[in-house]
Amino acid sequence: MENALLVAILAPILGAFTLPLLGMHSAKARNAVAAALLFLSFGASLLLLKPSLSGDIVTVFKPAGFGLDLIFSADALGVFMALAATLIGLIVTFYSFDYLRREANQNEYYFLTVLFLGAMAGLVYSQNLVIIYLFWEISAVVCWRLIGFYREPFMVRRADKAFLITVGGALAMLLGLIILFNEYHSFDLRVLRGMTAPNLAVGLIMAGIFSKSATLPFHTWLPDAGVAPSPVTALLHAAVLVKIGVFVFARLFVGGLVWEPVWDQVLPVVIGISSIVAGGAALVENDLKRIIAYSTVSQLAFIFLGLLMDSRLAVAGGLLYILTHGLAKGGLFLCAGIVEHKLGAKDIRQMGGLARNMPITASAFAFCALSVMGIPPCGGFFSKYMVIAGAVESGKPWLAGVFIAGAFLTVLYLLRLFAKVFLGEPKFPEVKEGTAGMLWAVSVLAGLSLLSGFLIGYPNEFIQIAVGRMVGIE
Amino acid sequence: MVLAFIFVPLVGAAMMPIMRKFWVKGSTLVTIAVTLFMLTGSFANILREINSETGISFQKTLLGEKFALSIDGLSAVVLMTIALVTLATIIFSAGVPIGRRSGFNALVLLAVTGMNGLAMATDIFSMYVFVEIVSISSFILIVYNMDEIGTEGSFKYMILSAVATVFLLIGIAALFAVTGDVSFQGVAAGLSSSAPLVRFGLGFIVFALALKSGLMPFHGWLPDAYTAAPVSVSVLLAGVITKVAGVYTLMRIIVAVFGFSESFSNLIMILGALSMTLAAFMALGQGDFKRMLAFSSISQIGYILMSFATGTTLGLIGAVFHFFNHAVFKSLLFLNAGATETATGARRLEDLGGLAAKMPVTGITSIIGMLSAAGIPPLAGFWSKILIIIALWGSGHRFYAGLAVFTSLVTLAYLLHAQRRAFFGKVREGLENVAEVSPLLYGPAVLMAVLAVAAGIFYPVIIRTLNLLLRIHLN
Repeated sequence: MENALLVAILAPILGAFTLPLLGMHSAKARNAVAAALLFLSFGASLLLLKPSLSGDIVTVFKPAGFGLDLIFSADALGVFMALAATLIGLIVTFYSFDYLRREANQNEYYFLTVLFLGAMAGLVYSQNLVIIYLFWEISAVVCWRLIGFYREPFMVRRADKAFLITVGGALAMLLGLIILFNEYHSFDLRVLRGMTAPNLAVGLIMAGIFSKSATLPFHTWLPDAGVAPSPVTALLHAAVLVKIGVFVFARLFVGGLVWEPVWDQVLPVVIGISSIVAGGAALVENDLKRIIAYSTVSQLAFIFLGLLMDSRLAVAGGLLYILTHGLAKGGLFLCAGIVEHKLGAKDIRQMGGLARNMPITASAFAFCALSVMGIPPCGGFFSKYMVIAGAVESGKPWLAGVFIAGAFLTVLYLLRLFAKVFLGEPKFPEVKEGTAGMLWAVSVLAGLSLLSGFLIGYPNEFIQIAVGRMVGIE
Repeated sequence: MVLAFIFVPLVGAAMMPIMRKFWVKGSTLVTIAVTLFMLTGSFANILREINSETGISFQKTLLGEKFALSIDGLSAVVLMTIALVTLATIIFSAGVPIGRRSGFNALVLLAVTGMNGLAMATDIFSMYVFVEIVSISSFILIVYNMDEIGTEGSFKYMILSAVATVFLLIGIAALFAVTGDVSFQGVAAGLSSSAPLVRFGLGFIVFALALKSGLMPFHGWLPDAYTAAPVSVSVLLAGVITKVAGVYTLMRIIVAVFGFSESFSNLIMILGALSMTLAAFMALGQGDFKRMLAFSSISQIGYILMSFATGTTLGLIGAVFHFFNHAVFKSLLFLNAGATETATGARRLEDLGGLAAKMPVTGITSIIGMLSAAGIPPLAGFWSKILIIIALWGSGHRFYAGLAVFTSLVTLAYLLHAQRRAFFGKVREGLENVAEVSPLLYGPAVLMAVLAVAAGIFYPVIIRTLNLLLRIHLN
């Protein structure tokens, strides 16, 4: 089983380096190998599912000294995140086969994407804070290149911006981790469990997490990152990048490190503001992808809300939210990609009536939007309900009120977006539906968004076990 | 082995004028052979060092115990770094046109002789002699193209170096007057009196070496010298010459003679922090690729010396690891700057653009160098930087630790600026016909990039080896 764990991490990371070489000879072979690598990682994580549920946690340990040991272990939380990320990553990769067919720099793209998902797998299985930081930064580097994919000067500048903000946050976090190390002489999360983190360390680590998960006031890079190709934005928003922040938050603070009570007052205020402000921004923005990006900023606050609350229901809701939001948001971006690809426009004021020309895209978009809004029976409903109910349960009804307002904003801006783009007078009567591969990808994501609602029992059961382990109740 | 490290390059240098008469091409081959010999020799040193009981792998006394050269762990790392960077320099210089090539090789070998001697010296007077050998050969190397800018840079370096030399000599004289001995051990034993003359000597020596290493506010000569020098010379200057003549010598004299005192630590901490932060901000505003890298060097010297000034085990390991890493990534970046200059004829960043598409090898290696310099994992620069920050925080220098973290971000900012201007992005008009440089020019860059990646991935091995190598300096 140790091998499965290593395959899940190393197959995509090492395999990624063969892709540019393959791509020089045959694009088809490169694409096939890219998909195979992700599939291999997904399968390996699937193998780890059973032991992680039965509490028989697979661990790999390599000592290095000075607290910098390599420690990987496949616990329920890690397996859940790895499965969610590689699944969405796999669908996005299939979509990009069609989407990027004519672009330059494809070798670099597949290399980076597979490396990205490998880094994600490494991060979720890691138990050493420095190794978590290592993968965190690899994802930042990859993201920098991917955002600048089209190489236009303003795009490269925005790529630099995203890189600098996330690395700035990460460096703050690194200092926080070093403060922890200085206090407890270990970077091992299993040793740090139950220890009280100094206030300065918590503040610095939260700056890192908020910058990665694009929460106010460190959110500005995420809407700007929309200059990347759509599959890239889908990856950033749904599968990997912004989810790293919330995941590390869960890893560190849910049932792990303990903080002073003051943070229970401060953090809800930050995420409450983030949710409402970003929702408002999404309501007035006119760029298709920027609206969805602000929506991500707003929805991330819901995930934080769930993980912050002192309630098993809320924590389970927060984790479930990572999955349902990933599926639905990935779908939204891929649909937006089809629209942008076919129309060559980004401004929603120029669009309209596309539902007639693009029925499949429109319906996939609708289902994904319903899931993000939290309308039953989509998966998004259950996670949103659990998070807000959990907030009430842990005695913060006012906070629940703020987030219900945030949820209402979500409904408003997504309805506005859908109406402007897909309903009304057709402004592009000639436009055709996207290619089969792209349509398959968005349909699968929309279907999964629906299915995750109908079959909510399965992920929920798994997450209940994960949460039980995390907070120490079997 | 000890004498070989001095005489092999010295004899090589002496052969060059003869080679010029009948086989000019061979002069480069001989130089490469000498460097390869040094490289293998230094690996042998390190292996022997790890297994040795005393922590000293080789020692040679001459003139009836009066004069000794020895190789310990610290010297072994420095010797390896010198050999490595020299190899890269020579290979690169073989690919670019240089007038009087055998003379150039002779000077490089002479500088290497001086640096090797410096790494192995065990008394303050021969330390002084070797510092001078290094400095004088680098004055000539900087002005080797005989152009106006080279003359200016070299002249500036020479004048400020002369000041440093005077101070160094006065400091040495003061120590000799107090202790009546010049060997490190003898001086250290005689210092217990802590006479005012000793403090005076320490102050003068620290000042001289701070000037030699280009620490702020004594950095005025460094950007000019680095920018004015021919490309391959900048690699050697930035990679090893200033590091060995300034930083290593300072480290050695503190470890072997003076020991850490609070006033020394505070002084170096302040100067180091000043250099680290200010130089990073100054690099942010540079339009010339090489000048930006020069300021970056000053900033990185700040990191090394701050880590050293903590006086802790971790601090010394961090400093030595960063010393090596800096030699690797800074020579890599200078090699990239040289390759772009050779290919496009432009050295200002605004005249470049989108070169990654035209020069893929240079583009990729420059990303690796940049990320290692900015301390992004898993590259080598990250591991030394994290050790430095842990050392600073752990020894109670919390403000400096915060500053070091902040400067990492500024470092990334200026390097990203260079990336964006030179490599990442659309190809600039007028550069459509640029092609990748010859393998002789990008080969050394690839070697350095591989080292930066390998040292980063196998960091446990490196950290453990350094721990073993430096054990006699750690209490």
